Amino acid sequence: MDNNFLVIENISKSFGDNKVLENINLNISKSEFFGLLGSSGSGKTTLLRILGGFENPDTGRVILDGTDITNLEPFERPLNYMFQSYALFPHLNVFNNLAFGIKENFTKKEIEINVRNIAELLSIEHLLNRRIKQLSGGEQQRVALGRCLIKKPKLLLLDEPLAALDKKLRSKTQLELTTLQKKLKITFVFVTHDQEEAMSLSDRMAIMKNGLILECSSPEEIYENPKSLYTANFIGIANIIEIYKKGENFYSDDLGINFKLNKELKNKKTNILLRPEKIKIQSINNLKTSSFNSFSGEILEKSYLGSFTRYEIKIKNMIISVLDQNFNSNSNYNFPKGEKVICSWESESIKVLED
Amino acid sequence: MKNKLFEKYFVFSPYFWLVLFFFIPLAIIFKISISVSEWGMPPYQDIFLFDNGFKINTTLENYVYIFSDYYYIGSFVNSLILALISTFFCLLIGFPLSFYIATSNIRLRNILLVLVVIPFWSSFLLRVYAWKIILQNNGILNVILLNLGITSEPLQLLYNQYAVIMGIVYTYLPLMILPLYGYLNKFDLNLIEASKDLGLNRTKTFFKVILPLSVPGIVAGSLLVFIPVVGEFIIPEMLGGSDRLYYGKILWEEFFVNRNWPGASALAFSGIIILVLPIVIFQILYSRWSQKNEI
Repeated sequence: MDNNFLVIENISKSFGDNKVLENINLNISKSEFFGLLGSSGSGKTTLLRILGGFENPDTGRVILDGTDITNLEPFERPLNYMFQSYALFPHLNVFNNLAFGIKENFTKKEIEINVRNIAELLSIEHLLNRRIKQLSGGEQQRVALGRCLIKKPKLLLLDEPLAALDKKLRSKTQLELTTLQKKLKITFVFVTHDQEEAMSLSDRMAIMKNGLILECSSPEEIYENPKSLYTANFIGIANIIEIYKKGENFYSDDLGINFKLNKELKNKKTNILLRPEKIKIQSINNLKTSSFNSFSGEILEKSYLGSFTRYEIKIKNMIISVLDQNFNSNSNYNFPKGEKVICSWESESIKVLED
Repeated sequence: MKNKLFEKYFVFSPYFWLVLFFFIPLAIIFKISISVSEWGMPPYQDIFLFDNGFKINTTLENYVYIFSDYYYIGSFVNSLILALISTFFCLLIGFPLSFYIATSNIRLRNILLVLVVIPFWSSFLLRVYAWKIILQNNGILNVILLNLGITSEPLQLLYNQYAVIMGIVYTYLPLMILPLYGYLNKFDLNLIEASKDLGLNRTKTFFKVILPLSVPGIVAGSLLVFIPVVGEFIIPEMLGGSDRLYYGKILWEEFFVNRNWPGASALAFSGIIILVLPIVIFQILYSRWSQKNEI
């Protein structure tokens, strides 16, 4: 596969003294659904706007399908941008909003056919004569999407595509968006601050912080093997434990237990990540405490989440989160507050955070 | 109950204002315009006579008089043309300025808005008089042009229709900028970016997105400039010459120099009808259109 479809090369951008992007390098493949995830101020939207041509980078190049588009005006780029606010034209109806970008180059009949096709694809045929103000948020989102897709762009940029929708509609639209993208095989690059959204939509995603890309990989890889402390905390729930070398093994002062690691460490002191669902929780009566990779603690808090129960377990100076899948329908399976339990995990579940 | 009555009066107070200061004076002017003129004080006869029984003493003579003399109609046409040209230039200068103000950052925006409003803090007469000083034969502008060698003798910049247009555009520009700014301020700049993103260059974006969405501001600003300029008296009087006569000046002369109150009233009343009627019709059509288009 051509993974040089969209090449972002050494892009830097400052607003005044404020460095927003620093040496961004990214390669995105054709037909990839790529997510830029970061909290506000991470520079993700600026990067998307540079791709759209609304901001000029201070340094670097953007190459799309072999063509350098860095200095092209937005109207010269073979890509489209879907705005977070949708930016639909209030003085035009849905039909004319959809037709806005193709009116120049097509005959009346072609426009009609194209609009009908795109409306059908997005199931908004019944809305064509409506005014923008008469549409719901979900309908507006479809019109905004249709207005871009009708131009058959090589690349579609989406700024927080689902942020303006309510929660229920969001998960439904998420699914529709991925299905649509796989069907049309258009490269999508989107920006979001919502880690769940990024995980469920992206083929690959980049984690951004303070104008830098910390990591870029598949959602699975980033969740399971994050490289940095920031990423580990940002994506999902994380138990971060500081350990140091003590004889043959590693020791945590906070937990007061030994860890056995499968690999050697560069540093004497390091953080490890233990995801809450990787921890097995058992009644203290059933087992003896092993000296490695397990501890006994007291259940401090417990919240029943249906398919899971989340426990906060206190051990020595630390509180560890544990997600326990509710295999049994027997409610006795759940441990009550205050109960002493034994937690254990596989050595492979421990991830060393290098940065 | 008492409260409700108060609310009712409160809500209708603009209409009381309108009746008191517009419709009643208009009725008085209409009354004078159909009176028979006379040498005396006041210079017209009563319209109701009771000497030999009751008699209504009215005439349409005054209207015939002003409509049969091109002197009067011509001055009105001159004023309409002046108002059109001035409004056009106010729009031409005011639109980009308002757009720039509306899209600049908040600090610069406030400074620029204050700069637009500052002229209002000084007397209107003084400001027009200042232009007289700038434009006169030995004025600043001519001195600069002479010293730069652009012209060998002073240019006659004052006392012609161009000086009048300039004076009016200068004076009325804030009245165009402020309502336009009010609309453009609410303009979603993403719409411009969206238009460009969809393949329209700057010119096309202007005509397809910015202009149609600014129509309410353009209409408001243009009416605010156009209507008072038609009756403008002081600026043509101070900066204008004898090359063109304007409605406001003729009206003044007819009232105060010729003391032809009925004739002047007929002129004033006709002017208002000719001016206001199309604007009322336009406003009705326009509000229907904008409701339909939800701008």
